[in-house]
Amino acid sequence: MSLVLHDYELDSDSYKVRLLLSALGLPYAKVAVNVHPGHEQRSPAYLRLNPLGNLPILVDGETTLRDSGAILCYLARLHDREGQWLPANPVPFGEVMMWLFFAGADLAPATLARLHHMLEVPADADAVGAASRRAFRIMDDHMTKRELEGFAWFVGDQATLADIALFPAIALSRDFGIDHDEYPALRRWMRRVRTIPGFITMPGIPDYH
Amino acid sequence: MGFAAGWYALALGDGLEPGTSAGTQLFDKELVVWRDASGASHVWEDRCPHRGMRLSFGFVRGNHIACLYHGWQYDEAGQCRHIPAHPTLEVPETIKVPTYASVEAAGMIWVRWDGEAAGQPPADIAAVPVRSLYLDREPETVAQLLAAGRAGSFETLSPGSFATALEGADLFLALQPYAAERTALHIARTGGDLPLKDIAMWAEELRASLEALPAAGLAPAARQAGAAA
Ligand SMILES: N[C@@H](CCC(=O)N[C@@H](CS)C(=O)NCC(=O)O)C(=O)O
Ligand code: FES
Repeated sequence: MSLVLHDYELDSDSYKVRLLLSALGLPYAKVAVNVHPGHEQRSPAYLRLNPLGNLPILVDGETTLRDSGAILCYLARLHDREGQWLPANPVPFGEVMMWLFFAGADLAPATLARLHHMLEVPADADAVGAASRRAFRIMDDHMTKRELEGFAWFVGDQATLADIALFPAIALSRDFGIDHDEYPALRRWMRRVRTIPGFITMPGIPDYH
Repeated sequence: MGFAAGWYALALGDGLEPGTSAGTQLFDKELVVWRDASGASHVWEDRCPHRGMRLSFGFVRGNHIACLYHGWQYDEAGQCRHIPAHPTLEVPETIKVPTYASVEAAGMIWVRWDGEAAGQPPADIAAVPVRSLYLDREPETVAQLLAAGRAGSFETLSPGSFATALEGADLFLALQPYAAERTALHIARTGGDLPLKDIAMWAEELRASLEALPAAGLAPAARQAGAAA
């Protein structure tokens, strides 16, 4: 069995998968998709793999998966024997899933805001900016309360898929004009994410050398 | 702006771990608050003299702060000490970041704004830091709403600091005039033992009130309000 990730270096959803693969220490083949300027992800060949025309796409033998959240869950179930990243216990499982759906839905405006600023993808800049700030505020309120109760991560007492899925949007927010100044709990949490063994960066997320 | 020279809280002290930095603003001016490896905190202009990058985007190396762009390093006094592209260069004294006087008191980091006119630094009362709250509202309006009791019963200690009681706990709030339409409130518990999480939840409701309340009918006198603690 071998994993193939159809990937775009600047895509924050692809980065989530690269980050988990690295944290799990899994070998995989990376296929670089010419998203900009080629729109290769919407070519007939790629639409056969994913009719939504987006990335990432993970191919594992006969299995083809789209949606970074689904791919994260798949990889965790398959390769994380201790159940750290996607807990089996219903309560933390539910909480991780809640943040995964939040990352897919409520942080979608942040993804769009960044593509709008970087690649001129059409968007209502004010609306996606305001929606991004609302989502970041919810995350900062959550981590503020978590810290006051002595916890370091979004769910439970170690890093989970929630932390992986939530990290890119806020870590890249300066790309679309949102500073970290108003999110002190997220600033501290982002430093902790950087300490996850196997942590990697992507363009826009600086390496602290 | 109705606010005057004074000492303004910029952050909670224990929220800034040694070896880290945070960006903020006061009256729209970008500042970096950072804590060196020895635990001392610093407040500087948030601008690298090289190409103007925000220093708060950079990282702390021991007791130096390094710029993210080209790695220029500045010592505790703001003096540039190292330029990676010219490692053997004796860096000219003129390459220096403007610094501000600052103190830590009541669990918060305070900056002296507008030089000597600011007067004495705030008293270092015993306080347990809770959280910083960022509001999309003009600083004057937030101060007036608090002073007028619109968002609950607050005692005005100074034009920029307030006290209130919550379920047996005493709370201290310091107002940071962040930008023309943005305000921060730094909140600490000065008495009682109400769990900090409960205070944080109360603070979320306070933020919602202060962002939504109409400003109409606020006392004109409060509009002239001056300095912080
Ligand atoms: N990461 C390199 C960066 C070197 C670098 O970019 N040098 C600066 C001068 S300190 C520069 O002028 N770069 C060219 C430019 O920004 O146009 C290092 O720190 O050695
Ligand atoms: S802008 Fe700071 S070192 Fe170049």
